[in-house]
Amino acid sequence: MLSLFALAGAMSQFNQGLTLFLSLLVEATPFLLLGVAFSSLLAILVDERKLVALTPKNPVLAAIAGSLFGCLFPVCECGNVPVARRLLMQGAPSALAIGFLLAAPTVNPIVFWATWVAFRDQPSMVFWRVGLTILISVIIACVFSVQKDLRPFLQPAIARQLLPPEPEPTLATATSDSPLLTRGTYLLQSTGTVKLDQPLVSTLDTAVLPSATWTVKAQAVLEMMLQEFRELGAVLVMGSAIAATVQVAIPREWILALGQGPITSILAMMLLAWVVSICSTVDSFFALSFASIFTSGSILAFLVFGPMIDLKNISLLLTTFKSRAVIYLFVLAAQLTFVFTLAVNLYTSW
Amino acid sequence: MKRTFPWPIALDALALLLWGLMILRYWWTGRLAVLLHPDYHWLAIGAGWLLLLMALWRGAALLWSPKSLNTPHIALLPRRWSLAVLLAVAAFGIIYIPRPFTSDTALARGIAEPVALTRSQPRRFARNTPPEERSLIDWIRLLNVYPEPDAYTDEPVNITGFVIHPPNWPDDYLLAARFVLTCCAADAYPVGLPVQLSGDREEFAPDSWVNITGTMMTDTVDGQRRLVIQPQDVSPVPEPKNPYEF
Repeated sequence: MLSLFALAGAMSQFNQGLTLFLSLLVEATPFLLLGVAFSSLLAILVDERKLVALTPKNPVLAAIAGSLFGCLFPVCECGNVPVARRLLMQGAPSALAIGFLLAAPTVNPIVFWATWVAFRDQPSMVFWRVGLTILISVIIACVFSVQKDLRPFLQPAIARQLLPPEPEPTLATATSDSPLLTRGTYLLQSTGTVKLDQPLVSTLDTAVLPSATWTVKAQAVLEMMLQEFRELGAVLVMGSAIAATVQVAIPREWILALGQGPITSILAMMLLAWVVSICSTVDSFFALSFASIFTSGSILAFLVFGPMIDLKNISLLLTTFKSRAVIYLFVLAAQLTFVFTLAVNLYTSW
Repeated sequence: MKRTFPWPIALDALALLLWGLMILRYWWTGRLAVLLHPDYHWLAIGAGWLLLLMALWRGAALLWSPKSLNTPHIALLPRRWSLAVLLAVAAFGIIYIPRPFTSDTALARGIAEPVALTRSQPRRFARNTPPEERSLIDWIRLLNVYPEPDAYTDEPVNITGFVIHPPNWPDDYLLAARFVLTCCAADAYPVGLPVQLSGDREEFAPDSWVNITGTMMTDTVDGQRRLVIQPQDVSPVPEPKNPYEF
């Protein structure tokens, strides 16, 4: 008899977990599709060089501009690394690229909307999330901008394609302007001469299909959408499964004990954000399932830290940055998130 | 030359088709209400149709150009794995019928304690509505703002909810409960009001739905002074189309 009750209880828990899991999936899928569609469209259609030319040179202003670029490029943290890499290769200042890298997954209209939908009862969550992300991104971007030449931080394959930083203006600039006498490494071919050590972008256009017809472009956009949906959809499934399991299987007293402490709750949610690696367009729904138990500061920490650095995007970051730079980014972002959200927990009644 | 069947494209199309159908099936069978707040049904339905269109486009490639463009992409999971995960979940989601949360869930979430009222800020205030028109969540929001039970004595009440038998309560008490949703089932939280029956609560099985009319009174349940419904009539009703309140 007792085992029958236990079985019924387990079945009910199982059903509850499945309902949770499916509700997360069904609610998040539209936002995932929207994010994937935008990032594919932009990757194919937008020329970042024009934007780079318009940005300010002052590091703080460039950092702010970079962290707001996400409004133009609504990409999640899986799409931002390739875009940041293109920005760097097109000669963007490091503050701009780093600001974009950290803030773009959060500071964009799709994430803004998704967070608002999820936290309709706490609209301030949206503003805290965006504001804190911009603040942290600008701080880290300014720290990185001290390093004028970012090449030692980049993977060699990418560093080779970058211009050295502009030298300080000297009096003897007149001679170097001659179009006839330039030094460098060249490949001589019957069809012409290719300069090998100049930035790749000026040799090849990195926009995938610059002169293709609209049908080919549309085909490429759809292809990319599908590729990203396949991959991020799988990550979403796993993230939803983890969220549902945590809610159903872990005893409520444990979660309550962890989730109510101002420090433990933040650490737990940051660890969760790092492990679960859920896409920033849908992570607010994931966080929502913890919102009733965990402190507001810790939910904020999840929403701010997750899109900046997580397990999934570390592998993406390593395609562009050397591990030392990734560690700096990780440590700075983690510390700043922790300090600011702890302040939120301790000094605001929200 | 023997032409091999383009499995990757066919499986892509199948995965997209199943995902689209899964979402649209919840809509057609009315189960979307179990998963989502009605305000966001259109989003899910739109995504379902979009997935079907993408499946059509992918399927068309089978007929006309069975080769895929290889755009550079950094993959985290091997393509086969992610495809397998998507296919498995969609196949399961098409078969499985999601069920609303039950009394076990509500008890596990601490509904029996009087402090477990609501965490949300009231979006509308029901003081002005006549008491007999207040829904269960309206009563709870009112109690949240002004918790003194004596203030509501003898007010008429007419609510619908599902039955919970809290284990520590006497046999003539049950809890009439509803889950409240702000976005999707992930944030559902239970609210409820105690009902003092004239007979044994076993007459009403846990998780069955009842409509209760009666008046309010103050009583001590499980050592707590609480607002309790004294019913004139408790009648079983079918599960509402939308089991949640908002």
